[in-house]
Amino acid sequence: MAEMTWEKPKHLEQPKPKNSLERAKFLIGGGLILAAVLYLLISGTMQGARFFITVDEVVNDASYVGQTVRVSGAVVGESIEYDSENAIIRFTIVNIPNEFDDLATALHEALLDPNATRMDIIVEDEAMPDLLQHEAQAILTGELGTDGTFHASELLLKCPSRFEENSPDGISNIPERS
Amino acid sequence: MLAEIGLTSLIIAFLLSLFAIGASVIGERSGNDSLVLSGRNAALLTFPAILLSTAVLVVALMTEQYQLSYVWSVTDPQTPPIYRFTALWGSQRGSLLFWSLLMSLFTFGAIWLNWRGERRLMPYAVAYMMATLAFFLGLSLFLENPFDRWWILPDLPEAEQVIESAFIPPNAVAPDVERLSETATGLNPLLRHFGMIIHPPMLYLGFVGFTIPFAFAMSALASGDLSTGWIKATRRWSLISWIFLSLGLILGGRWAYDVLGWGGYWGWDPVENAAFLPWLVGTAFIHSVMIQEKRGMLKVWNMVLIISTFSAVMFGTFATRSGVIESVHSFARSEVGFPMLLFWAVITIISVALLLWRRGQGELQDEHQFANILSRESMFVLNNAVFLLLFFSIFWGSFGLPIASELFMGKEVTIGAETFEYFTVPLFIVMYVLMGIAPLSAWGTMSLKRLGNSTTIPMILTIITIIFAIVVGTNPLIAILGYGIVVFAGYVALYEIYKGAKARHKSIGENWFRATIALFQRNQRRYGGYIVHLGVTIIGIGIIGSTVFQTEAQYTLLRGDSVSIQDYTVQFDNYTRAQAVDGRMMNISEVTVFRDGNPIAELRPRIDDYPDLPMTIAGAHSTLENDFYVLFLGGNAERATFRIYINPLVNLVWWGGIVLMIGTFIAAYPKVTATPSRRKRDEVEAST
Repeated sequence: MAEMTWEKPKHLEQPKPKNSLERAKFLIGGGLILAAVLYLLISGTMQGARFFITVDEVVNDASYVGQTVRVSGAVVGESIEYDSENAIIRFTIVNIPNEFDDLATALHEALLDPNATRMDIIVEDEAMPDLLQHEAQAILTGELGTDGTFHASELLLKCPSRFEENSPDGISNIPERS
Repeated sequence: MLAEIGLTSLIIAFLLSLFAIGASVIGERSGNDSLVLSGRNAALLTFPAILLSTAVLVVALMTEQYQLSYVWSVTDPQTPPIYRFTALWGSQRGSLLFWSLLMSLFTFGAIWLNWRGERRLMPYAVAYMMATLAFFLGLSLFLENPFDRWWILPDLPEAEQVIESAFIPPNAVAPDVERLSETATGLNPLLRHFGMIIHPPMLYLGFVGFTIPFAFAMSALASGDLSTGWIKATRRWSLISWIFLSLGLILGGRWAYDVLGWGGYWGWDPVENAAFLPWLVGTAFIHSVMIQEKRGMLKVWNMVLIISTFSAVMFGTFATRSGVIESVHSFARSEVGFPMLLFWAVITIISVALLLWRRGQGELQDEHQFANILSRESMFVLNNAVFLLLFFSIFWGSFGLPIASELFMGKEVTIGAETFEYFTVPLFIVMYVLMGIAPLSAWGTMSLKRLGNSTTIPMILTIITIIFAIVVGTNPLIAILGYGIVVFAGYVALYEIYKGAKARHKSIGENWFRATIALFQRNQRRYGGYIVHLGVTIIGIGIIGSTVFQTEAQYTLLRGDSVSIQDYTVQFDNYTRAQAVDGRMMNISEVTVFRDGNPIAELRPRIDDYPDLPMTIAGAHSTLENDFYVLFLGGNAERATFRIYINPLVNLVWWGGIVLMIGTFIAAYPKVTATPSRRKRDEVEAST
């Protein structure tokens, strides 16, 4: 048992590759597949790539006007307007800095900062998302129009302050046992 | 007291797993059998220890022990019992413990079933399994302890008084129970759905399950027993893990479809993709090991695949658990990311080093070479290539591109769903084509003419289907072609089953029913595999139907008014508000759906107001033909706005998933040997 390292080959009549032609077929076939997939990946990436940038960058760099980009920002709760009959959502987002330790805190602080860059958003033909609310992080795909409004075609929302373990508010509210 | 029991048994499990690693490796290297046995026993004991720990957490959840911060964070007094229970995996700390429980359960099973048969592989396999377990237990103990409790330190300034600790800090007092229950946060409403109850455990079972073949493969490398023993011992584990992984993905899709309210089930979200990656490479693996078993080929390749599967599993866990990735799955954010990455790196380096060492010694030579490009083994290799190319494309789009662009350009670049489709649809087409052709080719060698001949009947059936599709008005051409490619694979599977049954019917004279049953019994793996292919075909038809032909529209209706969409008419009947047992208010709209003038369904799409979050719950009328899916966007008793989706064939996605599971189950089911009594019973069954 201890010496057994190999399963005995079942077919000892080893069919060697008949010639280099067969090998060449494999190589050419493999090469073609790889080339095709690489082409798909590169062309797809070139066409579909969008910069994921901050509100500051979109608003302050004119080269982004009319270009499809992804932007992330903090949602201002009182700015949310929903026209349910025409399915148009309007709201304002505030710049979140590029680097932060904790998303919930970053969103909270961004909304308190009076100097933070703001941008108006319009999303057309979209049902009102459940998570669109104050202090949510909105991740939008779309383009900045010449009117200064960002026309979003895709809207993804995150609410880190909700339903997260150790919500600081909750903890500080727990009084001592009397 | 409860928390202390849970914590103690968790610590014991951790120590047992560490001991099992040491005892197995040292025992095996020094030839000390009793040490190896004691390592095994320690590994077996981790299961009851973790089970106790988990049971304690469940009891704490059910009995509202809010001093445990985990219980406090995932339940509140309004939480119904079923969600109290499922809150076990509702958040990070609980789900890590649950992960460990499943891991120890699988280890227990693997040792129990394989100890005698694969004695030589077992010590190192135990060491690998226990290393994974120890790592996760370590995360639970040191970073994400589910038994942490709230404490108040009255001596400190007010802002720092409340702390979380597993042990009682000096001078600490317990907080007031009532205040705790008032402030408890409750389970995220998005997770209150049956799909969410079983989706995470299924995915975890899949993830954890693939650790078993990985451990055995690495043990084969470490022990030098490089026969197909590791593959045979773990074949069923791989298949079972694959069922769970598939089911987890499908249920996740179902959850998104029902809860997220956008009429779709797959959004190419990075975390979805992270769970799909192990499935892709795992699927390549379960195909590829068949070549090693049958032909003694691809030995190194299979090792690479199982190492990659394990890596993908770790990465998937990391992606869902670390919270570093932008996603709809952003419920969890924590510090486990870095340790997970480190653990993954260490395990991968050891594994790759072992593989290179054995390969360097010339111990992983293939016994056959590829003779013919149309042979079945070549088809399998192509299949592997397709799955891996899908793997790399999806990895690139989800993680490679954003990370690389951030590193080299200083700006993150991402791609959207349409670009993922652009990459992957051609590869999926090749996958379906191969799924159609590969079962018809033979091992060793195959000529184009023979292959062509054997496709005749499935091809005729496919052409008939295409003509049918055109007659019923299917458009555009791309969808017709898509259906053609997908159904061809299904017809091949059915035709192969028919051919096998016909052969038995003719040669042995069994009736058709018995011949089919016997066929499946004789070669469960092959015919189970065809059923899986059939399931994948059904899913494919559902995906084409529901993506190419989805109809979407939005209307505002006055009460009593109706609107027509295709052959359907929707009428807004009523609007009510009602309070649910857990206290949330429900805004319920009532609509009647007519088809060709006849009422076919009354739907109640609604919006639930949870304290922090409204939730849109769709009303759907489901048939095999389509889903008539209505979202209530807002309104009152006078007027209301609805968004309507008609998703043709979408239910085939779920039904295909069930067929796929049945097929895998047949393939994995322990071999049935036909005993005389069984034969008799079969006869009785067949004659009735």
